[in-house]
Amino acid sequence: MFNALKKKLFGQSNESKDTAKSRLHFVLVQDRTGLTNEEMAGFREEMVKVIEKYFVIDKEGFDIKYHRLADTTTLLINSPVIVRRATAPAAKAARVPENETDTETAAVASNV
Amino acid sequence: MNTRRDNGSGKKDLGEVIVITSGKGGVGKTTTTASLGAALALRGQRVLVVDADIGLRNLDMMLGLENRIVFNVVDVAKKICKPAQAIIKSKKSNNLYLLPASQTDDKDVVDEAEVRYVLDQFRREFHYILVDSPAGIEQGFRNACAGADSAIVVTTPEVSAIRDADRVVGLLSSKGIEARLIINRIDFEMVRRGDMLSVRDVQDILGIEILGVVERDDQIISAANCGEPVVYNQKSKAGQAFTRIAARVCGEQIAIPSFDGGSLWSRITKKLGVNA
Ligand SMILES: Nc1ncnc2c1ncn2[C@@H]1O[C@H](COP(=O)(O)OP(=O)(O)O)[C@@H](O)[C@H]1O
Ligand SMILES: [Mg+2]
Repeated sequence: MFNALKKKLFGQSNESKDTAKSRLHFVLVQDRTGLTNEEMAGFREEMVKVIEKYFVIDKEGFDIKYHRLADTTTLLINSPVIVRRATAPAAKAARVPENETDTETAAVASNV
Repeated sequence: MNTRRDNGSGKKDLGEVIVITSGKGGVGKTTTTASLGAALALRGQRVLVVDADIGLRNLDMMLGLENRIVFNVVDVAKKICKPAQAIIKSKKSNNLYLLPASQTDDKDVVDEAEVRYVLDQFRREFHYILVDSPAGIEQGFRNACAGADSAIVVTTPEVSAIRDADRVVGLLSSKGIEARLIINRIDFEMVRRGDMLSVRDVQDILGIEILGVVERDDQIISAANCGEPVVYNQKSKAGQAFTRIAARVCGEQIAIPSFDGGSLWSRITKKLGVNA
């Protein structure tokens, strides 16, 4: 399972430290938030839904990080944007590529 | 970094208490306590190392003092002896003292208030008091943290140690205790091969200040065999690393080599910039 995840995230990389990193990111989000697997999956699903109201995104690249700096903890939601939805009211804020195959990344940061 | 004695406050006579902790066992807490204690003493600081691993006494052997123990930390807490009777001077240094753990008692024989009382008996006599914490996050850990001004979290670059370190950093921060990180037993050859997390990787994951990096070094084991902290062997990489860590504890700015492209400082600066 983790090998599959590794391939997906890191292409052909066979460095075991990359596996270590992705496994740690996965488990530390749970440890730090205190959310169960199911709750995390639910949160993720709802976040994707909200963002998809305004953007077409690459769901594969969607990523949630719970990031700690010296004295603040930040929830980082990282979402590769393929294109904005034509009618999206919030789209002005995001830079949108001319070419539809390019992707931009929308990062939503929130202090916890 | 922030020695109370140097900051010109009215409390200049009080030593700084630093707890050395990790969550996971066997990552190098006791080695760090002994080596950092000896390195600080070599710099002329008066240092007390306290073994808070009650029931699993270890620090005495790392310092070669196991034959000299009469009283211990529990005796001081319970006022069975005078504080000065329980501490043992190191054979190698007039500045370094040990307050041993009790080997026969249970971890919860003392509480946090008693630990604070014990530390207060020594704060005036020492510049630094290093408390060697037991593994785990239970009563023994809470006792070791009681009265600490700051913490040093020790981890190895391995997933289980990092996960436990992260847990401990969270618990310390909820107690208002600032934590700095020592990455121990790193093998730069494995890092180069991509088979071990790098200093930068660990820093990225844990997000706390790095106080030092110690390589995997056989000299640590021979030093432990002889009961002489590795810093007395300045040819050893680990000895040099702990000497640099002692300098940083005293507030010297020495860059931490990251061995994986770019200095760690530029990385940190960049990070802060991005998040500012
Ligand atoms: N950098 C290192 N290189 C090689 N061996 C080490 C290193 N650090 C610690 N050790 C060894 O690892 C073992 C556990 O260390 P110890 O300090 O007792 O850990 P802890 O107090 O966290 O349980 C000891 O045998 C010690 O000699
Ligand atoms: Mg120990």
